[in-house]
Amino acid sequence: MYIPRPLLILLIILYLLFLLSVDWINQMEGTWYRPFLVGFLIIAIASWTHREQDSDEL
Amino acid sequence: MNYELTTIIGLGSGYLVLLFGIAFATERGWIPQRYVRHPAVYVLSLGVFASVWAYYTSVGNALDSGYGYLANSIGISLAFLLSPLLLRPLLNLTQTYQLSSLADLMAFRYRSPWAGTVTTLVTLVGVIPLIALQIRAVAETADILSPEASRGSLATGFCVMITLFSILFGSSQQAGRTRHDGLVMAIAFESLVKLAAFLIVGLFAIYGGFGGFSGLDNWLQTQPDLLESLRSTNYFSAFHLTTLMFFSAAVAMPHMFYVTFNANRGQGSLAFASWGLPLYFLLISLPILPILWAGIQSGSTVQTDYLPVVIGVEYGKPLLTILAYLGGLSAASGLIIVITLALANMCLNHLILPVTQPDAKSDIYRWLMWRRRILITALIWSGFLFYSLPEENPSIQIIGIVAFTGGMQFLPGIIAILYWPAGNRKGFLSGLSVGVLIWLIYLMLPIFTASNPLSLAAINWSGVGIVSLIANTLTFALISMLSQTSDEERSSADSCTLDTIKRRKRSGLVAKSPSEFIKSLSKPLGNITATREVMQALQDLNIDIEDRRPYALRRLRGRLEANLSGLLGPSIARELIDGYLPYSIVSQHGSSDLNVIESRIEAYRSNLSGMAADLDNLRRYHRQILLDLPLGVCSLSSDNEVLMWNRAMEEFTGINSAEVLGSQIADLHEPWLSLFSNFIEEDANHSFKHYFELDGHKKSVNLHKALIETSGAPELNHEGMIMLLEDITETEILEAGLTHSERLASIGRLAAGVAHEIGNPITGIACLAQIIRDEYTDTELNKLARQIIEQTDRTSKILQALVNFAHAGTNNTQYADEVVSVAACMEEAKTLISLDKKSKELEFVVECDSEARIRGDSQRLLQVLINLINNARDASQFNGRIVLQASVEGNQVRITVTDDGIGIPAAIRDRVFDPFFTTKEAGEGTGLGLSLVFSIVEDLDGDIDIISPVDKSRGTGTQVIIRFPCYHDEPDPAQKASNP
Repeated sequence: MYIPRPLLILLIILYLLFLLSVDWINQMEGTWYRPFLVGFLIIAIASWTHREQDSDEL
Repeated sequence: MNYELTTIIGLGSGYLVLLFGIAFATERGWIPQRYVRHPAVYVLSLGVFASVWAYYTSVGNALDSGYGYLANSIGISLAFLLSPLLLRPLLNLTQTYQLSSLADLMAFRYRSPWAGTVTTLVTLVGVIPLIALQIRAVAETADILSPEASRGSLATGFCVMITLFSILFGSSQQAGRTRHDGLVMAIAFESLVKLAAFLIVGLFAIYGGFGGFSGLDNWLQTQPDLLESLRSTNYFSAFHLTTLMFFSAAVAMPHMFYVTFNANRGQGSLAFASWGLPLYFLLISLPILPILWAGIQSGSTVQTDYLPVVIGVEYGKPLLTILAYLGGLSAASGLIIVITLALANMCLNHLILPVTQPDAKSDIYRWLMWRRRILITALIWSGFLFYSLPEENPSIQIIGIVAFTGGMQFLPGIIAILYWPAGNRKGFLSGLSVGVLIWLIYLMLPIFTASNPLSLAAINWSGVGIVSLIANTLTFALISMLSQTSDEERSSADSCTLDTIKRRKRSGLVAKSPSEFIKSLSKPLGNITATREVMQALQDLNIDIEDRRPYALRRLRGRLEANLSGLLGPSIARELIDGYLPYSIVSQHGSSDLNVIESRIEAYRSNLSGMAADLDNLRRYHRQILLDLPLGVCSLSSDNEVLMWNRAMEEFTGINSAEVLGSQIADLHEPWLSLFSNFIEEDANHSFKHYFELDGHKKSVNLHKALIETSGAPELNHEGMIMLLEDITETEILEAGLTHSERLASIGRLAAGVAHEIGNPITGIACLAQIIRDEYTDTELNKLARQIIEQTDRTSKILQALVNFAHAGTNNTQYADEVVSVAACMEEAKTLISLDKKSKELEFVVECDSEARIRGDSQRLLQVLINLINNARDASQFNGRIVLQASVEGNQVRITVTDDGIGIPAAIRDRVFDPFFTTKEAGEGTGLGLSLVFSIVEDLDGDIDIISPVDKSRGTGTQVIIRFPCYHDEPDPAQKASNP
């Protein structure tokens, strides 16, 4: 099965971010909008990966 | 703060009228296309998914499960972030096969009308409560703002407006297979309004409610329970299931399917939406917590879900309340409009059309449009009826959860479409039935039967959801593995499965031309509709109506099925196409459709990497070898369909590969039809020297063939054939030229020998005639003797010229370096040429300056002149005139040979000096004459030029101009000394 390389990178980043950010988000002294910062980061990376994609119009 | 009922109605109606205006302006083309087609509009139209669930219910969810309320946004965002895995291949499928709904997709993939019908029924059962939820949210928020208003009348008015809008802008005659720009633009506008409303309300909650971020933080520090519940999200239970549920909803819910695939403008739009939609959902999720906390701080007693509207009331900001209300109205109306349009198409294609179909004589498009309108109305009002159930009905949160859990039951079937070709119809239907049954019994029925108000904990929705999904998946897998899959279904699975490029075997069609297509389809569709559909498909494929190639007809059939699928659904379309445009022979053992496979690989090429890319490079290399081979290569299938036609073949036959690929050998025109057909019938694999005429020229070819061995079908002798065509026309001319030269050389030697032998007796005759002349003066005999001497002189001269000319062509000749009189050479050439009987029909004119002399070999100059005169003679008509001229121009002698013949065509003028180039028939000319002339002229330090035509007005005549350095007598040294 073919998986575009940028998508693989995105999947790995998503997985790593999930592992790293759960504790950070749930810290009691942390600000409430931390999950949204992670979300913005993921979307920024995603916009880069999807811009790189080649469209074959299969 | 209460609002007048008229204000609420006026606001709602005004807003919906604004939507009408936007849709109308778009349809009329008043909004520039660059805005309408912008990917941002596509992203905003996808925002339809942020319905009342995201707008109102998320606030309640945030209170109950902390960050768990983000699960729905994360689920839908993941579907788009990972679009290359699911949405992108599905988009290709839906666009290729014109599939407008999930039911179409299921019916197409599992090759069963039942798959479509069951999908439609399950969707219908799951979605009606969702429509009711939207109506309820609109009515309840209106009721909060204006308690004296009747909810029922508000809901009725809302449904009337929505019904009108959906009918006007969503059900044209082409609905089902066309984009409705007006509708898409209106939905995008609605998404923008609700996002803006939500963000403004959120900002107010922070700054108006708490005085800014620091105030909010300070307040939060006083609410440890809230912070605790916010961070106590259990990421490994309901959160995951909710995420999965909304991930599958991206395809399974009819409104999302409709917008994602039907409103799409191509892969570029989807790539934009892959990060654009997650951003939209992130932004719409952002204000939820501040709104919730501001609502709690205000001490509002209203249901938490409706806090976005209530905040304005609690903080005394009427404009904010109206804005939030309009945002909620947008969320509800957008979803109802799109979901009913999508569901109407599904019901029409999979519930109505299988039972009753339009008559061939009626206007099918109109018939479909009206039924679609009736269905839209029925669906909206079904939602209204559901909403009108007794007051004890469950919370909007429960209704939403139940609806989305139902949609999740399609997930195994959807995944199998792309990733599991072994999954079959029986497995899908069994799995879906089991999953839906569990869902119905444990989630859906309690909504109607529960005596006490239900809670999410009471129905244990996550447990039921997981069990139903696992049961569904296991049943699907098990039944698929244990049951047989039909060939048709396997073919469909291959078409859908990612990376699979296997295609159905090629088969001939009963209909042999597009006109016959129209004739066949006229029976079920009527002549007008059939003509319109066939012409549309021809236009889509850029195929001519006269094209009769099997490959083109197969493509046309496929396109027609896809187009009709968009109109009538895939089941009916397939029934029509299979019934009225059947294959003549459906063989599993025929060749695969290599052209289709090849085009698929070409399209997929940039995705290949590693070994696959290497193999593809190898394939291209081998293909290129065949394409560039200087021999004509034609590859045929076992049923004589042309699969390859290389460039040499194109050049030689003048038939473009695009015209011939996919056609039968029998479709070729003469002389190729006879040539190839006869050769295919022959037992021999090589056939030499076939002569035929092409565009008025004689051509000769050798043919070779080899059978392509079968790879696994013993009942067939071969899979096809490869045929080589070798153009030997030039070789034949060359061979003929050499033979002719040999023959001429022999004749020359013979002539020289004969001339020598004749010369002796002629000399004797001349001597005897001289004796007679000298002895018998003043008699009649003397006169006769003189005449004999004249004739013998003439004969001797001819013989001498002949001997000289014959000797001139030999390789070992030592060329003389002498002063050559051009006039003498011209006379001699004229003498020799006049021996040919053809020359007697022509007039020769010699105009030569006696001073024209050059240095060189007279025999070589003679040969130049004879070759040129020969050509002039051949080009001249009967009674033509050939003029030989020589003059001295400064230091040059200018010799011209001019005829008034047919001239030399411009196309070949540059090639006339090429060795073996000739326009004469094989065996008549060697193609060496002018080449030899050129060579000799160069040897003699001259140059040569050709003017043709001489007579520009008539386009006739040729003049050859040769220039040599002129020879001037060297002055006598003694004379030179006396005249310094």
